[in-house]
Amino acid sequence: MERQEIIDGLVEILRTVRTIDPEKLKNVTEETDVIADLNTPSTELINIAAKAEQKFDVEFEDDDIDNMGSKVKDIVDLVIKVKERA
Amino acid sequence: MADFFNIDNLIGYKPEHMLLHGPTKLLLDNFHWHDPKIGIVASYTPKARDVHDHFGVFRGVDQIEAFAQASIVSCGTFLECKKLNCTPLQLKERFVPAFISVGMVTFHNYLAEGETFISIGKIKFYKFRQMVSDGRIYKVPAGLDLTQYFSDFNESRLDNYDLGEDFSLIAELFDITGRALKKETFTTNK
Repeated sequence: MERQEIIDGLVEILRTVRTIDPEKLKNVTEETDVIADLNTPSTELINIAAKAEQKFDVEFEDDDIDNMGSKVKDIVDLVIKVKERA
Repeated sequence: MADFFNIDNLIGYKPEHMLLHGPTKLLLDNFHWHDPKIGIVASYTPKARDVHDHFGVFRGVDQIEAFAQASIVSCGTFLECKKLNCTPLQLKERFVPAFISVGMVTFHNYLAEGETFISIGKIKFYKFRQMVSDGRIYKVPAGLDLTQYFSDFNESRLDNYDLGEDFSLIAELFDITGRALKKETFTTNK
């Protein structure tokens, strides 16, 4: 799975987050911080991770989420790592 | 007291063995109904210290805290202990239960010292050690035997808050959220 494919999927997930301004999703990059740049409550990261599991057909461990940063690249890296682990 | 490893739910289990606060911060007396992945009913009767310096009534923030202890903390601790095959005391060595957020709360009435109330919590989400619960607080009719009353409670009745008309609605709570944080990521100023 290519990184851009994961980013595109992640943007689709972010579109479902009520607090995110859709305009801000037009310029999402790997450096975009979901909390700081998109004004997402930190609690929402857990929901995004849960949706990412379904979207990318992966299963995260609790520790994966503990160690996950809030930038797009952190989530992309985690999806790739978990896919490789499987 | 049943061995934690041998119980399938929290009914009859002592809250002080489940929640590891000191006694003055424990706002939970008994568990009456519990389906581990569905929800819980638990009761508390405010003590003199709970209403002291507050017009003789139990504070709204304490209602939220009592609901959280009954729902996300108790249910989350139970599920995590079962997952890790450990006791609440052993869990405490690794994690700190943290209050993460509170959604909308509407207070309908108040509670005075000695007035028993129940917290009815529905588990909306549980993953990655984070739990979200919605629910209600009701004042219990005086003298009611809660253990007997909830002996045939079920998920359908929970969903509909199906209680007798003599229960008084005290508060509605939404998106009460907590998470077990690893101790190494939880720091205080001490």
